[in-house]
Amino acid sequence: MKQWLLRLEPIIWLLFGQGILLGTLLLTGWILVVGLAIPLGLVPAEALSYERAHALASSLVGRLVLLALCALPLWKGAHHIRSLAVDFGGGERDTALATCLYAIASVGSLLAIAAVIRL
Amino acid sequence: MARPAHPDAMKSSRPSPTRMAPPQMPPQYPMGGRYRAYTLFDATGFVYLLVGLLALRVVWALGNGPGAWAQLQAELQNPVYVAFHLLALLSVLFVGVRFFRLFPKAQPPRIGPAKPPPQPVILGGLYAAWLGVTLLMAAILSGGLL
Repeated sequence: MKQWLLRLEPIIWLLFGQGILLGTLLLTGWILVVGLAIPLGLVPAEALSYERAHALASSLVGRLVLLALCALPLWKGAHHIRSLAVDFGGGERDTALATCLYAIASVGSLLAIAAVIRL
Repeated sequence: MARPAHPDAMKSSRPSPTRMAPPQMPPQYPMGGRYRAYTLFDATGFVYLLVGLLALRVVWALGNGPGAWAQLQAELQNPVYVAFHLLALLSVLFVGVRFFRLFPKAQPPRIGPAKPPPQPVILGGLYAAWLGVTLLMAAILSGGLL
């Protein structure tokens, strides 16, 4: 498994790097509106009524943005948790933990693809 | 306080005749001096992972129809979700500021025949993109645009 992780490292690093870059670019506005402004009543909930939200999300651009928004932060998260675990003395369990974390990110990414396809 | 690091932490990729002392974690690690920001930057991984999973749940609920969407919007008003999103916003801002400051310094001196732009130009471009994407997303999601 360790050899596999080493072989996949360029792909993992690409997704991790984009998780930081694109994830940060996209998440700021998303969190501000979907996570805070609408739940706190600062923006009327009708702004993301089902009909409007579905129309926005089901466009091609909407699907791609949502796919990046869901999948890329998973890779940033998985890789940084792995790095933190190694620094905190988990080097012996690195292969098992990395496999587990990247499996979560992979399954999440596949579910994100399914989620935007079924919109 | 210094403590032993992983024995392979500084291991050479090739056998070397040079003997090395066992690697030690720096005395200030993990929360002293400059290591605090480093550790916190890595720790935002937990928040990003959860935000990604939560965003996936939001998109999945949208695909399940109006009932599931209304239920999810009601759930997001729970103070636990609001507090988490506040933490997530702080994390994203912290990651953005730290990563964008690092990004220009990590550029190679040449990319093929071209030289990358000066560091302040790259940094300004990143901040402009961040602000632009955030304002665009916020305007669209809050109904001000489209």
